[in-house]
Amino acid sequence: MIRHLLKLIWNKKKAHSLLLVEIWASFLVLFGLTSLLVYNISKYQEPIGFTYENVWAVSLRSNRDTTDLAEKIQRVLQRIKTYPEVESATQMSSNFPFSQSSMSNGVDYKKKHVMADFYATDENFAQTLNMPVTEGRWYRSADSVGKYTPIVINQKAKEAFFENELPLGKIIGDRFKVMGVVNTFKAKGEFMANTPAIFELLDPKSSWHDLFLIRVRPGTDALFEAKLVKDITLMVDEWSVEVDHLTDSRKNQHNLTLVPVIIFLTVSGFLLINVALGLFGVLNLSIAKRRGEIGLRRALGATGNGISEQFIGEIWVLATFALLIGLLFAAQFPLMNVFDIQAGVYLTAIAISIVVIYGIVTLCALFPSRLAARIQPAVALHEE
Amino acid sequence: MINLTNIEKVYRTSSIETLALNNINLNIRKGEFVSIMGPSGCGKSTLLNIMGLLDEPSKGTVELDGQRVSTYRDKELARLRNEKIGFIFQSFHLINDLSVVDNVEIPLLYRSTNGKPRQTYAKEALEKVGLSNRIKHFPKQLSGGQKQRVAIARAIVGQPEIILADEPTGNLDSAMGNEIMNILQTLNNEGATIIMVTHDENMAKRTHRLIRLFDGTQVQ
Repeated sequence: MIRHLLKLIWNKKKAHSLLLVEIWASFLVLFGLTSLLVYNISKYQEPIGFTYENVWAVSLRSNRDTTDLAEKIQRVLQRIKTYPEVESATQMSSNFPFSQSSMSNGVDYKKKHVMADFYATDENFAQTLNMPVTEGRWYRSADSVGKYTPIVINQKAKEAFFENELPLGKIIGDRFKVMGVVNTFKAKGEFMANTPAIFELLDPKSSWHDLFLIRVRPGTDALFEAKLVKDITLMVDEWSVEVDHLTDSRKNQHNLTLVPVIIFLTVSGFLLINVALGLFGVLNLSIAKRRGEIGLRRALGATGNGISEQFIGEIWVLATFALLIGLLFAAQFPLMNVFDIQAGVYLTAIAISIVVIYGIVTLCALFPSRLAARIQPAVALHEE
Repeated sequence: MINLTNIEKVYRTSSIETLALNNINLNIRKGEFVSIMGPSGCGKSTLLNIMGLLDEPSKGTVELDGQRVSTYRDKELARLRNEKIGFIFQSFHLINDLSVVDNVEIPLLYRSTNGKPRQTYAKEALEKVGLSNRIKHFPKQLSGGQKQRVAIARAIVGQPEIILADEPTGNLDSAMGNEIMNILQTLNNEGATIIMVTHDENMAKRTHRLIRLFDGTQVQ
């Protein structure tokens, strides 16, 4: 029967060409959409590597003040640490977790050039964000006396630089000494790809690092926030202070990822509904045109269910032709490593798209094929 | 072989009730060549559809080989149509998108006959009707007579015991009609039971028995 259906579809290929293009285009749109979804879901499933609840980012702006900035920043940090509401505080560069800013640089090691995100932090960073160190230890202020800048790298950076080599104590980029390794660090949240990251000990005498992350006790409220801001502005007159809760910053970051996905999802959804309605209409029309053939097939031994199966089979054959053409395009993405995304993401997206396309065409064919099954053979033959 | 008792067929719409067949009693014996005649709309095709298990009578019983078919379900009726009955229609009813040989293979598809033997049987049937040189052609490339011969090949490919022909020569000129009639007579001589609806007295005279219908009633 499959050969018979193949012949039937092949001999009517001109009449079916528009349907073929419609299914093919739907598959490609669906492939794009599912690739995006699978990519984001796979990223979402990887841990971010730190905790952000009850962590606030306190940004200072010196405005017109240009004197003794580094000392003032340190005084503010020491003051913050004295509050009973504050469990831990750390100073870092402006690219704090879930912020919009980022800093990346290329680092060389044994003829390997690795692009990594850089974070300048003090010794309390890991403690403040509850980041477990899996190998070695987090750097301390005392480590700055050496020739090299102490750094901690994440697992991705370890794999990129050292593969199977032990990383601890190794010098990379001629100036960084690896002190420890953390598992993952996805600063932009769950939807960020897990990429190489390097944490370097910041220079406390530098006035660039005017941001603190503070972990407050659970239940600490806005009253403390107001008090904190007031105290800081009293300490450093003319400076401005801004407090961001990392939970809110995370939501903003998620929105930046999710909004385009939702727009794409909506547009694709409408397109697929249109395709489904089109298919449904075409199949209904086709059955109306083929009543004589249906009557004949019933006369020659087809059951009602057999007729129904034939129409579903025909649309499956048509979908298979369209999907085969679509696969020629979709397969280029994993083969050519497009957008540097893992092949598994594309392959999963292809599999999902195929299942959804078959699901849609089956749903569209179900009602018309049932109508076809109910056609009385004697009536259909007489009409012809 | 086919036994019809007190057959009545009424077509109902919301406002009209039409009596298509009234009290038909008929017994067709194995190997008979029977023709059914009557004016248009007298119920000939309806009677043929009932004998071919394509339609159910409103009243009465249909027996095929001694078995009452009124209790049969769709699947069993389809199997009976496929194995015991071959259909020939006035308008040929060929599928234009399939080649001649593919058209002839259709009844065997519903018997799940494998590809190779299916094609062999189809070619044998086409040879029998003198069309073995046209197997790759499509229906649109054939004349009316050739189309009807393809339809006959399709009707006999499954070696059914009964052939039901609904005005098989109705769309053909007399020469071509005679040719088709010769083929039907040959099939009958080989043992097939044939029931043919026709308007043509000359064709009817060539059969064993003539049944005349008028306004849904058997008059002869």
